[in-house]
Amino acid sequence: MPTLKIDGVEVTVPAQTTIIEAAERLGIEIPRYCYHPGLSVVGQCRMCQVEVERMPKLAIACNTPVADGMVVSTRSPKVEKARRAVLEFYLLNHPLDCPICDKGGECPLQDYTLAYGPGESRSVEEKIQRVKHKVLGPHIVFDAERCILCTRCVRFCHEIPKTGELGVFSRGDQSEINLFPGKVLDNAYSGNVIDLCPVGALTSRQYRFQSRPWDLVRHTESVCPLCSNGCNVVLDVRHRQRGEELLRIRPRENPAVNRWWMCDEGRFTFTYLHDPARLRVPTWREDGPRGEMAYDDLLLRVARAIRRVVEAHGPEAVGCIASSWQANEELFLVRRFFREILGTPHLDFRVRPVQFQPSDASEDGILRRTDKTANSRGARDLDLRPGPGGLDAAGMITAAAEGRLKALFVFEEDLVRAFPDGPLREALGRLDLLVASSLFPTETTALAHAVLPALGFAEKEGSFTNFQGRIQKIRRALTPHVASRSLPEALRELALNLGRDLGGIEPEQVWAAIGERPGPYQGIAWKDIGDLGLLPEES
Amino acid sequence: MAFEKILTRYQDVPNYTGTIDEYIAQGGYQALPKALREFQPADLVETVKRSGLRGRGGAGFPCGVKWGFIPKDSPRPKYLVCNCDESEPGTFKDRMLIEEEPHQLIEGIVISSYAIGCHLAFIYCRGEFVSGAQVLERALREAYGRGFLGRNILGSGFELDVHVHRGAGAYICGEETGLLESLEGKRGQPRMKPPFPAISGLYRSPTVVNNVETLSNIPHIVLRGAEWYASIGPPKSAGPRLFSVSGHVERPGNYELPMSITLRELIFDHAGGIPNGRRLKAVIPGGSSAPVLTEQHLDVGMDFESLAAAGSMGGSGGVIVMDDTVCMVRVGEIVSRFYHHESCGQCTQCREGTAWLHKVLRRIEHGQGRKEDLDVLLDMCDNMKGKTICVLSDAAAMPIESYLAHFREEFEIHIRERTCPFEGRGAF
Repeated sequence: MPTLKIDGVEVTVPAQTTIIEAAERLGIEIPRYCYHPGLSVVGQCRMCQVEVERMPKLAIACNTPVADGMVVSTRSPKVEKARRAVLEFYLLNHPLDCPICDKGGECPLQDYTLAYGPGESRSVEEKIQRVKHKVLGPHIVFDAERCILCTRCVRFCHEIPKTGELGVFSRGDQSEINLFPGKVLDNAYSGNVIDLCPVGALTSRQYRFQSRPWDLVRHTESVCPLCSNGCNVVLDVRHRQRGEELLRIRPRENPAVNRWWMCDEGRFTFTYLHDPARLRVPTWREDGPRGEMAYDDLLLRVARAIRRVVEAHGPEAVGCIASSWQANEELFLVRRFFREILGTPHLDFRVRPVQFQPSDASEDGILRRTDKTANSRGARDLDLRPGPGGLDAAGMITAAAEGRLKALFVFEEDLVRAFPDGPLREALGRLDLLVASSLFPTETTALAHAVLPALGFAEKEGSFTNFQGRIQKIRRALTPHVASRSLPEALRELALNLGRDLGGIEPEQVWAAIGERPGPYQGIAWKDIGDLGLLPEES
Repeated sequence: MAFEKILTRYQDVPNYTGTIDEYIAQGGYQALPKALREFQPADLVETVKRSGLRGRGGAGFPCGVKWGFIPKDSPRPKYLVCNCDESEPGTFKDRMLIEEEPHQLIEGIVISSYAIGCHLAFIYCRGEFVSGAQVLERALREAYGRGFLGRNILGSGFELDVHVHRGAGAYICGEETGLLESLEGKRGQPRMKPPFPAISGLYRSPTVVNNVETLSNIPHIVLRGAEWYASIGPPKSAGPRLFSVSGHVERPGNYELPMSITLRELIFDHAGGIPNGRRLKAVIPGGSSAPVLTEQHLDVGMDFESLAAAGSMGGSGGVIVMDDTVCMVRVGEIVSRFYHHESCGQCTQCREGTAWLHKVLRRIEHGQGRKEDLDVLLDMCDNMKGKTICVLSDAAAMPIESYLAHFREEFEIHIRERTCPFEGRGAF
């Protein structure tokens, strides 16, 4: 392994490492525009030039492999002059519209200009005028004047989704990024070009003009819930007059899960969290019209109904259909409540064909998977499945239709939609007690006696387990609606009403209990789950 | 001293049209059988190394050394690509060679292919060379017909196919890796080096890219020997060279001469001197990328080393002569306009720098210059040189630097008087 010196500091790295990568290990960021670790190296921007002893010219750090005994300077006068020159060249034609540019405040061109660039322009020539705010696709809008032709977007479309919508057209200072004729930038990963773009040339149509970066008060690390891949994300939240608002989701680098990328569906699907149609307060219906009811009252009534059913028909008359939308902590408590406290074997989470192993598969060989829920693996690992003699989801519905099952809890699933063929309404209609939790009103909640508002993934703390078995934390980015309680809170209350103790409901406490049990998560504590998740077999 | 023409000896044959029979009649296609029968490929590489032949495209890299870089043990096919994208302003010798003596090139290609183990060669022909490409196509058909190309060439078992590929009109496709990208059907922009084409060239396979004139020398070296070739001209710049002389001379045209001649001899003895009794003002000795020389350099030899020592370069052999009616600011404007137009645009310094150079020079020429412009120009040139993937950026900066070095006063007059003092007297 070659040992080299960068800015006077020695570092030993594997052969074939480039200078830019070696510097990174020392925490030295060599400025760059075209280089991106996830894309091919083109060496075009010339921003990462460094001085290497005994090399006649400056070397580009992105494409120069290290060698033993190499002495690299990233801040020599020669390097600083070359860097200042590159920035001066960029700024010849780059518009100074930073005050109205989405990128302003988180823009590498601004940042590097501030750090290394010339203070003022020596150019008196007119700037080239180019196409502004051209819509490239459903999510992306393009400003050619701001573009510095780093070609990251072009390479991304060629190399990752392999759709190749973008190219460089014309040459010299007339060069422009554009769509190939007849193409639209609508691949499933198009949003990544927004993150890749080092200037404000490619911006998000959804986020455009919604915020300045410094107004985003919170950058919460979390995990995308929209399929079983569990792409690591950052949730950018802003305070507005009407309250906190999630404005943007960005991918977070995790080499083992999503590298630097995420799909458009995961990136742009979050406005539902702020939808006024969401359920906010618990409701109760019994022989009459549905009405709002305080949690305490509602949970008392539910407890009373459960007790009646159990006393009359035994615990086997109660069933629960949990959901792979739920976090591990919720699932564990659900299982504890139904299997241990109530003592019913009827527990399941599988309401979609894809949740039956091993049908979850890669959708496109990139990131997207066919199981469009976040936590089927966690539900399996935590054994949210029928106990001895227990019924699966479909079995519970049949039992309800036949009058054998008297009480059913349905968490975050719309059974009417999941089982469209059977006489579901009739089955659910025969139940003495139907409790449903949901983000939105559904046909199932319409039939339920008790409806509990559910929390979205950005409103709760916990973890999902992705298809690989990697446990990854989700963190609360948004304060839940003042009237909402989390499911663990509701379950704990319900248990208390039944004279039982559910145990601690905070993630640390839940994991203390999970870790004690035999199973894939044995021995794992909440604090063991790092920023990049935890794969039990690796721990 | 009368110099024996080698590459252009056909010019002394009356009514010569470059057909295969004419070529054979004056001794053509004798080197090929000799090469195939008497030489192992490695011997040919050695012979070319010993001959001292240097690339005639611009860089003057030793040809045999370039061939020697081709890995012997690579399982990949090897390619020879003839660079016939001659686009350097002031250069027009390759065009003449393919139009007038195409078989000399083809014979050179077959021998060179044999030397490096290539079975598929390409002639990348500048897009504007429509008739030249047609001549080459016809000549290739003739060569196939006589068994100089195709399978089992002259019963030797060696096989070679040659294709003519026409470019689409980009100077940058004359840069060897830009050429390879274009030949592969991609956007013509140079590749990062290393790897060099000899290791990873066309279709990521070992590739030699040689200029038309370079390859045209090969049959003569094989036929008459490396020592004979090395004896022509100065030791480090062996062999004959075609100089394309243009501009203010009595007899513009291509001159085949040893590189031992001086600039003075080339301009005054061969090209007939400056017309209309005017004085020589400036000479660009090696294509528009070369720094300018002046009267004081007239006794500089036209070999690679002497021109480099004089602060310029042999380049492509395009000699542009300018008399005292020429405005050097206007020359700068024209030259920079060319590089502005031809920059591929991938590297920042070149994409933006070529345009900025042009705009500033245009402004100065049109009376809008500012005092500070000249220092900005020089600093800009410094920022453009040696910092990009290919040397187009250097090629744009070096001449401008040299115009400022030799004719700074002229620029200052433009700025001071807010007009071009040469206005109405024409340029080159």
